[in-house]
Amino acid sequence: MQRAHQYALSGYLIAMADDELILGHRDSEWTGHAPILEEDIAFANLALDEIGHAKLWYELAADLLGEDQTIYPDRLVYFRDATQFRNLQMVELPKGDWALSTLRQYLFDSLEALRLEVLKHSRYTPLAEIAARIRTEELYHLRHSRAWVLRLGLGTEESHSRMQAALDALWPYAQQLAERLPGERDLHAAGIVPSSAALFDRWHIDAVEFLTKAGLQVNFQQFLAPSRREHTEHLPALLADLQSVARLDPEATW
Amino acid sequence: MTDTQWPRYMVFQQEGPDQPVVHNGTVHAPDAELAMLNARDVFVRRPEAVALWVVPADAIFTQTQEELAKNELAGEASGYRVEYYVFGKFAQQAQCRQIGQVAASSPQTAVQAAIAAFPDQQPLWWWVLPISAVRKSESTQAESMFLAARYKTFKDQAEYPVVSMMRQLRDKGKLG
Repeated sequence: MQRAHQYALSGYLIAMADDELILGHRDSEWTGHAPILEEDIAFANLALDEIGHAKLWYELAADLLGEDQTIYPDRLVYFRDATQFRNLQMVELPKGDWALSTLRQYLFDSLEALRLEVLKHSRYTPLAEIAARIRTEELYHLRHSRAWVLRLGLGTEESHSRMQAALDALWPYAQQLAERLPGERDLHAAGIVPSSAALFDRWHIDAVEFLTKAGLQVNFQQFLAPSRREHTEHLPALLADLQSVARLDPEATW
Repeated sequence: MTDTQWPRYMVFQQEGPDQPVVHNGTVHAPDAELAMLNARDVFVRRPEAVALWVVPADAIFTQTQEELAKNELAGEASGYRVEYYVFGKFAQQAQCRQIGQVAASSPQTAVQAAIAAFPDQQPLWWWVLPISAVRKSESTQAESMFLAARYKTFKDQAEYPVVSMMRQLRDKGKLG
């Protein structure tokens, strides 16, 4: 792979990893607070999976940059500040109620599944292999979040109104899924990654169909999506929590 | 106060292609699909399953040896026969495991049929469940449900030396 592509791909992978890490952290906040014991366990599992995916992408990025795979991921996670993260705003929003977290998981997982399906066939083999591995787990996540969105959307008056409120709150943020990831323009031309805009078009059709089936109304207004460099005020607070222990002793080896 | 508790489902697991299906616990769920997902998340965090079954708890008919000794033997009722899976528990600490399958017109007669069909099996406790009540994981989903766990080394405790690190930090006076 050309050096320019290596550098571009490392940025792309770190953005994907940031999504997984921050979403995993938000999911982990349900531990001990989910509406029922089985879901407490399910969401803790989800959170671990997402953070595990982040780790795989950070390690591959480290490899491309010639960095130490055992040290570099931790440096990225614990010693960058909010301005250096490239995650979607959707994943950094507070966990809200169960409907919001479940719907967020569905919106993210469903696009992720499409992206990984294409990445599985990437011309960069290490990327293709990891994508295939992660995708098997994402399919399970998607099955889980679809099951819940459907049941809450079609459930009681309260579950329906909470799910609709969650959709109204998240849908504008979901438009950011159409934006290019760092380095995407060149990497897509080289057959290494898919076009986010094309993925989003496919995703949009599926998502609207599914959400409608769940009895929910989609808002078709146009929203301006921010760049992945911009964040809400929630990210610094999340990072303060996530990074507090590591920063007690930056020299420690974990 | 209405009861908001979800119904109970019994969870059965098969650890390998040549292994018997065994009962391994219970989940609460509003329906079979969520029972299946809950069963996977609660019982299969390691790659030790090739199949999961979930069955509404109230679809399972059981008879202990004591109950069998006390009861009048139910005669074979005339009627429509359906297939039942037969399970047995052979020791107090053992998991209930699959013995075989019988056709019968009622759960009671299914137990009788099982005793006749498997004379060399002497479980302390017979369980019979109509095949139609069983929801099985699909083989096409086996990879995403079970095999992904092979890669999840990040779930191993050894990956997280947090406790020992926190002690070191405390000893260095870094913690207030």
